[in-house]
Amino acid sequence: MSDQGYFGQYGGSFIPEILYSSQQELLKHYREAMADPSFIAKVKQEMQQYSGRPTPLTFCANLTEQMGGAQIYLKREDLNHSGAHKMNNVIGQGLLTKRMGKKRVIAETGAGQHGVATALISARLGLECTIYMGAHDIERQYPNVFWMKQLGATVIPVTTGSQTLTDALDEALRDWTSSYEDTHYLIGTSCGCEPFPEMVAGFQSVIGEEVKEQAMAQFGAMPDKIYACVGGGSNACGIMLPFVGTETELIGIEAGGRGDGIGEHAMRFNNDQAKFGISQGYATKFIQDDQGQLAPTHSISAGLDYVGVSPILADLADRGLVRMTSANDEEVIAALKTMIRAEGIIPALESSHAIAGGLREAAELDSSQRIVINISGRGDKDIFTIAKALDDQPFNDFLRSYLAQGK
Amino acid sequence: MTLLAEFVKEQRQTKSILLMTHVIYGYPSIDESLQMMKTLLDKGAAILEVQFPFSDPVADGPVITKACHIALQSKPKLKQCITDIAALAKDYPNARVLLMSYLNPLVQYGFEQLASDMSGKIAGIVIPDLPIDHHKMAAPLVAANVDPIWLIIPGMEKSRIQLVSEHAQGLLYCVSRKGVTGQGSDSQSAHDELQRYLGEINQYTDVPLALGFGIASAQDVEGIVGLVDVAVVGSAFLRAFQHGGMAEFAEKADELLSVK
Repeated sequence: MSDQGYFGQYGGSFIPEILYSSQQELLKHYREAMADPSFIAKVKQEMQQYSGRPTPLTFCANLTEQMGGAQIYLKREDLNHSGAHKMNNVIGQGLLTKRMGKKRVIAETGAGQHGVATALISARLGLECTIYMGAHDIERQYPNVFWMKQLGATVIPVTTGSQTLTDALDEALRDWTSSYEDTHYLIGTSCGCEPFPEMVAGFQSVIGEEVKEQAMAQFGAMPDKIYACVGGGSNACGIMLPFVGTETELIGIEAGGRGDGIGEHAMRFNNDQAKFGISQGYATKFIQDDQGQLAPTHSISAGLDYVGVSPILADLADRGLVRMTSANDEEVIAALKTMIRAEGIIPALESSHAIAGGLREAAELDSSQRIVINISGRGDKDIFTIAKALDDQPFNDFLRSYLAQGK
Repeated sequence: MTLLAEFVKEQRQTKSILLMTHVIYGYPSIDESLQMMKTLLDKGAAILEVQFPFSDPVADGPVITKACHIALQSKPKLKQCITDIAALAKDYPNARVLLMSYLNPLVQYGFEQLASDMSGKIAGIVIPDLPIDHHKMAAPLVAANVDPIWLIIPGMEKSRIQLVSEHAQGLLYCVSRKGVTGQGSDSQSAHDELQRYLGEINQYTDVPLALGFGIASAQDVEGIVGLVDVAVVGSAFLRAFQHGGMAEFAEKADELLSVK
């Protein structure tokens, strides 16, 4: 961590002046909270008793045999309450919101996982909750929207721009500019102005810390490689940061989408369309055009189609400490099917990117090597998208008869 | 004192308040936006602020955001924008033209290049997501006599007002209330509070003050005569255009410029 939230040339704070004092207030409370053992204990307690941590490290005997290479393990963030790693962060920030004496949280969400997690913790902690979600994402992920509403959250569809995560983030920032006095902006990923990248990555680092302990307990060594999908980067930061500077190789997998053209993918690395830029409160690599306009993105998974990326990961990649690669939509569906059949685990489409990246390399590795793939979330929420991708006609028949019954 | 500050002080000898008007380059098309700019300058607007559109304008409200996204459909280029508005500045020597842009398009263009292209033509620049803490990024502009116009907001700590004042030149943009642009006008009862707020800023600087956010009518402008040098009108022109096209846009300009 360098001064003022910088990670190499990335990070920093580039926010409208109106947010300065609330950012400073957050910074002060965050630093105080992290130095307070009772706060840390409370976060740990909620992670255990509400979310069900620690999540297991699961050995995949069948997949390992099928691939015929490295021993394959999964870090089961899908088994968190809410079904994704997002819960780790909202517990931390939710408790911080209470500590700051604020009554309301706002959040942006892409796939809806962060929105659901925020709505859950808000219900539990008695916080008023408003979720900004791109109208396009709402179409893709209505089941999550349904649960947010049931949990008492107000879900506001964002109809500007590409109507996805980027726009939801802009809109949440706008809300915060007029509501900061009683509202905490509960960012879902390790992006944004100081201290958000550090704070979210910090609350998520429980993932990697647990992997260290579990690896020691289960096979008496550290993993040789760790794979995580990279959207904003919170699950990747969480599992990777405790391993930075160790012998374990860290591999991030981005959304390769359906092609290399602008608007067909969400690759912020190994790609000329992404360059250093400053927007949404911080500096990072943004996919953008020659005029500095942020570009549209695509991924089969709503959680990975973000135009920027965690400044922490941008810096680690520059320094060669994380290797970035990508998996396209087709590879992702194939990896998902393989995982479901081989191990009886239904991963989220986001996490299936990490699986695609891990399986691609596993076969080339020696059987003495061990890899850990982060299953950031479970796939139940993606049933509509997956059924469509697999062209499952009976699912369509079911939907038709379900609607017919409602009449 | 910079050329922009001198200009404001000189104009104020004969006018009770100056109007800083706002047009988005490229909305609804580049030609029509240039026509809007000319209309405002023809009608005597002292200062024209031209916003180069950005995909993620986080400090702007919904009206300006949507207009920026429409403007982006004509793929505006910052270089051409600077060329076009520099030409306007030349054609209307009795007015000053300012550029408004979010950071990222400027970062991609390069601040050195920006300074050299704007110098002597465009008097100042408003960068809503550049906090005062990063004032060094604007140093090439300062060196080229292009004034960065910094923001003061209500509730800002004294030490920070002082910090902004140290770097203020040309014009200081005072935000009249919290929140984003274009969401209604101030309540009448806020006048006293406004007076205290501006009085405090005046303790630290003699740079001319502009007041903005929520100024939409001649009445709003009249309400701040004597308090500041410049009234900033943002989304009111845009809303007028969206409601009744160029005719209503021109009417709005006549209304707001009627305050002498």
